[in-house]
Amino acid sequence: MAERKAVHQAADKLAFLLSLVPYLMDHDQVGVADVAKHFGVPEEQIRDAVKLIAVSGVPGATGTYQHGDLFDLAWDNFEDNDEIVLTNLVAIDDSPRFSGREAAALIAGLQYLSSLPENADRGAIASLMDKLSRGASTLPSQMGVEGAETDATLALIRESVAAGLQVEFDYLNSRGEQERRRVDPLRIESMDADWYLRGWCHVREAVRTFRLDRISNPLQSTSPISFSAKDVQLPDTLFQGSADDFDVTLDVASAALPLLSDYIGDAAVTPTAEGRVITTIRVAHLFSLKRLVAGMPGVVRVVTPGEGRQAVAQWAAAALEMYEN
Amino acid sequence: MPPQSQPRIPVEERLFSLVLALLATETGLTKGEVLSTVQGYRQKFNASGDNANLERQFERDKDDIRELGVPLETLESPGQAGNNQNLRYRIPRGAYELPADISFSAEETTLLNLAAMVWREGSLSGESRRAMLKLRSLGLTPDEPVLGYAPRVRVRDAAFEPLNTALAKSAVVTFSYLKPGETNARARTVEPLALIQHQGRWYLAAREAGTDVRKTFLLRRIVSKVTISNRSFTPPSGDEAEHALRELEGLWNTNTAEVRVTAGSDAATRLHKRRGTTETASDRLLLHYTDINILAEELSSFGPEVFVLTPTELRDAVVTRLQQLVTDHQDTDRG
Repeated sequence: MAERKAVHQAADKLAFLLSLVPYLMDHDQVGVADVAKHFGVPEEQIRDAVKLIAVSGVPGATGTYQHGDLFDLAWDNFEDNDEIVLTNLVAIDDSPRFSGREAAALIAGLQYLSSLPENADRGAIASLMDKLSRGASTLPSQMGVEGAETDATLALIRESVAAGLQVEFDYLNSRGEQERRRVDPLRIESMDADWYLRGWCHVREAVRTFRLDRISNPLQSTSPISFSAKDVQLPDTLFQGSADDFDVTLDVASAALPLLSDYIGDAAVTPTAEGRVITTIRVAHLFSLKRLVAGMPGVVRVVTPGEGRQAVAQWAAAALEMYEN
Repeated sequence: MPPQSQPRIPVEERLFSLVLALLATETGLTKGEVLSTVQGYRQKFNASGDNANLERQFERDKDDIRELGVPLETLESPGQAGNNQNLRYRIPRGAYELPADISFSAEETTLLNLAAMVWREGSLSGESRRAMLKLRSLGLTPDEPVLGYAPRVRVRDAAFEPLNTALAKSAVVTFSYLKPGETNARARTVEPLALIQHQGRWYLAAREAGTDVRKTFLLRRIVSKVTISNRSFTPPSGDEAEHALRELEGLWNTNTAEVRVTAGSDAATRLHKRRGTTETASDRLLLHYTDINILAEELSSFGPEVFVLTPTELRDAVVTRLQQLVTDHQDTDRG
């Protein structure tokens, strides 16, 4: 396992070297800091890579790596001024092609984005996908992603984010309470087919995440936002726990475990009978717990607390009653 | 600089030297030439003895380099067809280099960056990152991630990674698949043709090995590890991903269910906003779906807020699930 990881790192480093050389060839004299910034990596990584490039080359006619068979570097400039000037070049002329899988990943990403309102120019997207295909060394793997679903709510919020204006809407929260919210929209996020708004809620005076399909009667306000994305620390994860959350122990089919990964976090997962595990999640309210569990019948079972079990049983029984009458 | 003075050649230096050596040769190098002259191999090369370990190293390195999209070619020496020892290896420049007529505008680079950000986990995130690295190699600087937007597609099914690997290699795979309504999973051996995501769920489009029968599998229902066999196949030439997506889309459009929702409830709000939903009467909604069992799970989560009117199969599927939920959560202990 560790060895496999080391190989992966070496492959990433190789990809970096093969990408760095053509960039340096196009930039006759360039500071380490600028290159680091361009590639978005630490300066030390650039220095290490340059030192390796400078002593690398081809076996050459003698098969012994003679001086002219190696890259060379203006060492004084490198060591004194932190600048890179390659003085001898070998073997490499241009940037490498994408692999078939790399091209496929970007093409599938573009497919997902293609239905967003600002990407309405289908011709431009198609031409970009075509370039990726032609720029790959093998046929891109067959991968397809349905375009993200968009609606009027998304368009209105998107406009409001861009304009820096507040939005107001009715929202049914995870406790089942319907309430008019006034929000500084900061970022729109999606997960597969679901869309979320993250913003500063003026009612709660805190950063909150809203599911777009729980938003009704949205309106763009004329008031500008009071906090911008720069002022507010948006946590990386969509959902944050709160002090009021409580622990729920679940019995889960292990194959379904990934579907709960947002809730489980780093809680312990203990295997029990064949194919089942016991784990703990934190939830805000029985309102959301019963919905979560009722959406995975047979796959997830609440072990404790008893109120949790009751809430699910009553929720399902109330529904069954409608069919029995 | 005498290479002997270096105690150990890092892996990336060996791989880099191999790529440089094979790019520089027109006619190709034999395995013997690679092992005896290329940096990182030559230090371990035994001129008079057994180089089996080093040969295996070379085989693995070739695979790793090809993984990165480097087109490493094998040529037979003229007049020596079939002689393995005299195979020659090279990287043809034209197949290695990004064609000169391919360039990307600033807007395209920004869009590609956003497309790369769609993947945040698994091998797709690594592959997108490497693709962006190659774009940076061209001197293109993607703008800061578009503030205000963070779209993402998830890859959480355990079966995804091995299937994606098999797809790239056109290798036959075997896995156990649990069809809804059946209690025992059945082993399937298929040729993977495409991986597609529709309505937030990943599917495998495949062909039954040795036949022309197409099947679509929901990754969530693959209950075993995916085994990648050594057997490869010739993939069909069409756009399988698009074909499979269109098929699912067709199902989605054809299949409808009518439900009654409680006014003002979570079900009313969310199902109303669900893709393609139309209101047939007050509090009555017509929903679209691809798979009746997936829809049944979605609806059972809404409990008494939704009541299925048609079709009967959906009604039954929901009732079965509700009964299971009650059984699983009823307290038998009445003390």
